Amino acid sequence: MFFFLRICRVATQGLMANLLRSLLATLGVCIGVGAVVAAMSVLEGATGQIREQFENLGTNLVFVLPGTRRQGGRVVGRLESLELDDATELEREVQFIDSASPQVEAFAQVKMGSRNQKCTLLGVDHDFARIHDYEPERGRFFTSGQSNSKVAVLGSKLAEELFGKRPAVGARIQVTNLATDRRLSFLVAAVMEKKGTAGMQHVDRAIMVPVRVAMRNLIGSKYLTSITVRGVDATRMDETEDAVKRVLRRQHRIRPGQREDFEIWTQEKMLGELTKVTRIFGVVLYSIAGISLVVGGIGIMNIMLVAVTERTREIGVRMAMGARRWDILRQFLVEASIVSLLGGAMGIAMGYGFSHLLEKTTEVLDTQTPIRAIVWAVAMAVGVGLFSGIYPAHKASRLDPVEALRYE
Amino acid sequence: MALIEIRNLVKHYRMGDSLVRALDGVNVTVERGDFVSITGPSGSGKSTLMHLLGCLDRPTRGTYHLDGQLISSMGDAQLAAIRNRSIGFVFQTFNLINRTSAMDNVTVPLFYARKTRLHRPALEALERVGLAQRAGHKPSELSGGERQRVAIARALVNEPAILLADEPTGNLDSRTGRQILRIFHQLHTEGVTVVLVTHEMDVAVQAQRIIRMRDGKIVEDLPVDDTMRARAASAEWHEAGGETAATADLPSQAPAAPTDAGGPGGRE
Repeated sequence: MFFFLRICRVATQGLMANLLRSLLATLGVCIGVGAVVAAMSVLEGATGQIREQFENLGTNLVFVLPGTRRQGGRVVGRLESLELDDATELEREVQFIDSASPQVEAFAQVKMGSRNQKCTLLGVDHDFARIHDYEPERGRFFTSGQSNSKVAVLGSKLAEELFGKRPAVGARIQVTNLATDRRLSFLVAAVMEKKGTAGMQHVDRAIMVPVRVAMRNLIGSKYLTSITVRGVDATRMDETEDAVKRVLRRQHRIRPGQREDFEIWTQEKMLGELTKVTRIFGVVLYSIAGISLVVGGIGIMNIMLVAVTERTREIGVRMAMGARRWDILRQFLVEASIVSLLGGAMGIAMGYGFSHLLEKTTEVLDTQTPIRAIVWAVAMAVGVGLFSGIYPAHKASRLDPVEALRYE
Repeated sequence: MALIEIRNLVKHYRMGDSLVRALDGVNVTVERGDFVSITGPSGSGKSTLMHLLGCLDRPTRGTYHLDGQLISSMGDAQLAAIRNRSIGFVFQTFNLINRTSAMDNVTVPLFYARKTRLHRPALEALERVGLAQRAGHKPSELSGGERQRVAIARALVNEPAILLADEPTGNLDSRTGRQILRIFHQLHTEGVTVVLVTHEMDVAVQAQRIIRMRDGKIVEDLPVDDTMRARAASAEWHEAGGETAATADLPSQAPAAPTDAGGPGGRE
C-alpha cells in the first residue's frame, strides 16, 4: 500500500510538471463523463416525472383512443372512429364501469377583455373532474344538467394569466378554436385547483367546456379524441379492458380477425411504452456520451505517449535504480488513471451543474442525479484511464534501459 | 570469492546488416574494495562492459558472477532487483529527475527497494556527500558539482556492493571534477568498491588499477603506480598548458578524504 501511494505521488509529480497539458488531457473525459451524468440526470428526472404522472392516473383508469392512421407503414395521425354513443354504450353495457367520460381536444385562443391567451381547449363531460379527483378552487364544475350550456371551467394557471387577481367566476370569455376559427362566448363557472395533469392532459393551462358544446359549436365534428373509462374495481381492470374492447368492437361492427379502429391504454401499458421510449432515448444519449469518452480516452493516450517519449531517459534512470518493468507500467497507468479520474470528477460536477441549469432554465424539466450515475461516471473514468494508459505504459515498461539512458 | 568475475564475455549487436562485436571475449575479476578504472578510446567497448557490469544488459555469451550470483542468466525482474540492491550508478550527465528535490531523487532506489523508511537514509546519504543542507533543492537550483554529488548520494543510498561511475567528471570543470574524484577516494577508503569508466587518462589513474580496452578486448590490466600518474599528469599538463584535474591537489597514492576548503560541502 505504501509503495502504491508512493507510485501515486510519483505519478502526480509527473503530471504536475506539465500542469496545463495534464488539465487539457482531462477535458475529453470531463466532457464525456459530464455528458453521461447530465444524460442520466435528465433521463432519471424525466422518467420519474412522467412515471409519477402515469402513476397519478390511477390504476382503475382505461383510456380509449382512436386507432392510428398509417401511410406506407408509418403512423401519420389518428382515425375518426370514437363517438359520443360509444361512451354512452360503454357506461350502459359494462357492469364494472363507474364512468366513461368522452373528451375532445383543440388548440384555442381565449379572450378576456383586452387579454388574450392561447391554450388547450378540452371538451369534457361533468364526470371529468370527479374521475381525476380534480377539485374546483372557486365555483363549481359543470353538472350533467349543463351539458349543453355555454359554461367554461379554467385551469389555475390560465385563470391567473387571464384574470390576475380579479375574480374569474361569473366573468364572460370568448373562446376561438384556432383550427376552425369558430368562436363562442362562455360564462366562467369555476377555476380549478393547481393539478399539473389530469388523465393524459396538462390541465393548468387548459379551458374545459361541455363536450357537446365543444363538438357542435367550436370543433364541428362528431368524433372524440378519447374516452376515459373509470372502473369500479382496480383489481378487475383486465376484465374491464376486455369488456370495453368487446363493446366497442360490436359498436364499430368489427368482424373477428379484423383490425380494431381504436386503442385501449392502461396505466401498465403506458408505463411499458414509456420504458421503451426512455430506453431508446437513453441509448442515443449514452452513445453520444460514449463517443465523447472514447475521444477523451484517445486524448489521454496521446498525452501519455508524449509523456513516455519525453521521459524516456527518466525511465532508463528509474530502471537503472532498480525499477522493475511492472513498476514503470504501474507508474504510467496510475498517471493515466489520475488524469482520467480528475476528468471524471470535473465531469460529475459539470454534468450535475448542467442538469441543474437545464432544470432552472426550462422550468418544466425535472432532473435528478442518481448515485448510480456517480458510480458509473467513476467506473467509466477509471476504465477510460486504464484503457488509454495501457498502451503508453506498456511501451514505457518495454524500453531497453541502455537505449533509454542514451536517449537525448 | 571475487566480487565480480567475468569469463569470456561476448556482446554482439546487429546494426543494420553488419554485426558489431562490442565485447569479444573479456575476462575481468574485481575484488571487494577495489578501485578500478576502465579506459579506452571511443568504440573500445568500455560502455558496453559497464552496461553489462551494471546489469542493464545481457551478454551474448560468457558468464558474469556478481557476489557469487550468476547474473548472465537472470531475467528482467531479477536484474532489476540486483541493480537496486547491489549497484549504484553515477552518470556523466547526472541523470537526476529535474522536477523533484535532491531528497526525492536520492529516495528513488529506496522506493524501488520497497523500503518504508525513505527520509532518514536519504538524508544520511546526502550528508555523506556534504549536501544535507541542500536536500530540499531541485536539481535546477544546484550547481553541476552539487548535482553530481546528489547522484552519488543516490547511488550510495542502498549501500550497494559496487559504485559504477560512467565518465563522472565529463560534464564538470576541472576543479569540480577533482572534488568528485575526492569523494570517490573517500568512499573507497570507507570500503566501497568503485568501478570508474573514463576515457580521460588523468582521471583513470586515480584508481588503483586500470583496465585498458580496445576493439572489444582488454589490452592492458595493470595496477596504477606513481610513474603512470606522473606520466598522465605530465601529458595532461603539456596539453592543457598548466594545472590538470589529476595533478593539482589529489593524493599520489593514499586517497584523501574531502576537506572543508573547496571540498564537497561548499558550493561550486
